[in-house]
Amino acid sequence: MAAPAQGEDSDDGMDEFMEKFKAQKYKNAFNESNWEEEFNKVPMFMKTAPEIIDPEKNPDLACIQSIIHDDDRTPEEQARGLKDEGNDYFKEKNYKKSVLSYTEGLKKNCMDLELNAILYTNRAAAHFYLGNMRSALNDATAAKKLKPDHVKAIIRGAQCSMELRNYVGVLQWCDEGLKLLPTDKKLLELRATADKLKREADKDARKAKVKAKKEQNEKKALLAAIKERGIKLLKTELSRHRGSDSEDDDGHGGASRALADLELDGMGSQEATGACVFMDEQGVLHWPVLFLYPEHSQTDFISAFCENSSFMDHLAVMFGEELPPWDTERKYQPQNLQLFFEDPEKGHLYQVDLEKSLLNVLQHQRCFLKAGSPSFIVLVSGSLFSKQFLSGKKVKRSK
Amino acid sequence: MLSDGEATELLSFLTLETRADVKGQASEYVLGLTGNRDGCRYLQSKPDCLQALVTLTSDPSIAIVKDCFHALINLSADETLHQPLVTETGLLAKLLPKLLDPEYVFADRICTILSNLSRHERTCRDVFRALQEQDIGLDRLVEVFCNQGFNKKASLHYLGPLLSNLTQLPEARLFILDRDRCVIQRLLPYTQYEESSTRRGGVVGTLRNCCFDHAHHEWLLSDAVDILPYLLLPLAGPEELSEEENEGLPVDLQYLPEDKKREEDPDIRKMLLETLILLTATRLGRQIMKDKNVYPIMREFDKWEKDPQVISACEKLVQVLIGDEPEEGMENLMEVEIPKDVEEKLIEMDAKEQAQMEKDEQEQMEKDKQESEKNLK
Repeated sequence: MAAPAQGEDSDDGMDEFMEKFKAQKYKNAFNESNWEEEFNKVPMFMKTAPEIIDPEKNPDLACIQSIIHDDDRTPEEQARGLKDEGNDYFKEKNYKKSVLSYTEGLKKNCMDLELNAILYTNRAAAHFYLGNMRSALNDATAAKKLKPDHVKAIIRGAQCSMELRNYVGVLQWCDEGLKLLPTDKKLLELRATADKLKREADKDARKAKVKAKKEQNEKKALLAAIKERGIKLLKTELSRHRGSDSEDDDGHGGASRALADLELDGMGSQEATGACVFMDEQGVLHWPVLFLYPEHSQTDFISAFCENSSFMDHLAVMFGEELPPWDTERKYQPQNLQLFFEDPEKGHLYQVDLEKSLLNVLQHQRCFLKAGSPSFIVLVSGSLFSKQFLSGKKVKRSK
Repeated sequence: MLSDGEATELLSFLTLETRADVKGQASEYVLGLTGNRDGCRYLQSKPDCLQALVTLTSDPSIAIVKDCFHALINLSADETLHQPLVTETGLLAKLLPKLLDPEYVFADRICTILSNLSRHERTCRDVFRALQEQDIGLDRLVEVFCNQGFNKKASLHYLGPLLSNLTQLPEARLFILDRDRCVIQRLLPYTQYEESSTRRGGVVGTLRNCCFDHAHHEWLLSDAVDILPYLLLPLAGPEELSEEENEGLPVDLQYLPEDKKREEDPDIRKMLLETLILLTATRLGRQIMKDKNVYPIMREFDKWEKDPQVISACEKLVQVLIGDEPEEGMENLMEVEIPKDVEEKLIEMDAKEQAQMEKDEQEQMEKDKQESEKNLK
């Protein structure tokens, strides 16, 4: 130590000591350019904590953190610490992190039932805000199991059930809660809302049932009308297969299945729409009918051919003013047309009397409807194609 | 009846310490007495005997306990026994604690006794007061009543009539009409409880009594309680209403199934209508009922109903629903002052209506008799 200079008012050579510093650079000094950055790294001065604490980059912070989670403490203390940590994250709306903290706290398996109930309840809240309703509900249930009088858990359970649209569940949770706190406004409100929504849902169920029944009856009536007329519906390979495999969910399976087959099988590449036969208010049937023009590989689809209309009625309109563009030879004129339907079993062709009504034709002994949609082959009488087409086939002419 | 000596001897046999077979015979004898009016009246003057019966409900022998309860039920059915039972036997103090004991096998019997005792206002007050002293709130009664399976050995259906009787007291109604709790709301679904007409009737009676206080009507008809659908459902049938009528109905009454049945007990039907009529007392109530399409429900009901007394109540209700609104100052039908001559006329009309109803009932009974005679042949 340097001896004090004579006559100077100094304290142990402090001044001299200090003078030295002006010349020397402090080894670990902050750089002038990056001192703010540096400051931010010091735990005491940092403005925000980094998301992940890397012990390499931030040894001080990692050190402090490990003190918080010191394994020398009891499980209760550790759990409590983790609960607080979770709560802090929760306040920052960092729900994912808070879930992790609470989970860690629960893993400590400490003996404090109340603390664990709180951990579950808080985690339930975090899951709730994350939209994980099932997890939230499970946690609320677990909390309640540990501590049946934990009202927060019960309220959370009710809220989760509400989000999951389990109104009966909401009522159960609320009633349990109201046993403990009969005048709790939140529980009363939840209960009232759930009750209202449940009754709405019940009404919707009844409405759907009534609608289904009505549709069922309509389908039955339709099938009855078809049967009454002596019209034969053919089951296609597909529907036959489906019929044997599928179960009926309702007792009226037969009716809806037959008609379902009608609708579904009609979805061939030929049909533009999934049209189905229907009965109008006067009890008259209207059929989706297909006209096939094999000469030009064309088809025409009439979505609602009234059973009382005649073929000529339709043909006169279809081939009346303008002939179709594919009729290049301009020969498909109503008076020249011949219509046939095919007997699917024997392969015979039956000519149709164009003046007759659709109903009349459908009632023909050998007329079977495939996929609920009558189809007719249209040829031009006397044409070359017609001769070729009909040769080799057994044809029954109309009288 | 018994001589004084015999009575004293009988009393001496009715103690817990007596030999079982003697005790059994004695209690059986008393039960026999309670089977008829004279016996009951006799026992009215023997409070010690009544006391003994109450004490013996704690007897280890189930047979004796059953007899004692049976006797007490009979006695409580007689109005003249009400005060003696309540003031001189300690019945309420002894039996009330067991009422809400989920394990108690005889809870139903206690319910029945209480519902008998609470029928008339005076003893009803005693019962109510005793409940309060035992810290058994009405909300607790409602909670237990609505918790099926609370007591595995007792259905507790008679809590219904008990509640109904208790609510004749304004102080009791306050508890049921508590807006800060969920009490009356729990009762509402039971207007449709098929398994027990006792329970149903008790609930409807309670609701009717609660509607006496028109200050609560707005709350009762609001979403907070929504009493209206629960009163209408038992009266609504499977008939289809027009689309327009359907849309205006309360949610619970829409799209009722084809097999919907109406309330089968005419007394309960009448009580339901009386409750609805009570709710038409205020202008708001009338407006709500008109808006919610109560009229079409009543129209269909009127077509279906056969009982003249019930029809009469229905028609009263319909008159209010389709009638014009009363003039200024008469909006609250309960508070209207009726001038003397009008009052006399109304009394006269009531008498005529009553006579007509009785005539209709006679005719109906004759028709029924003829029908059944026809069937017997």
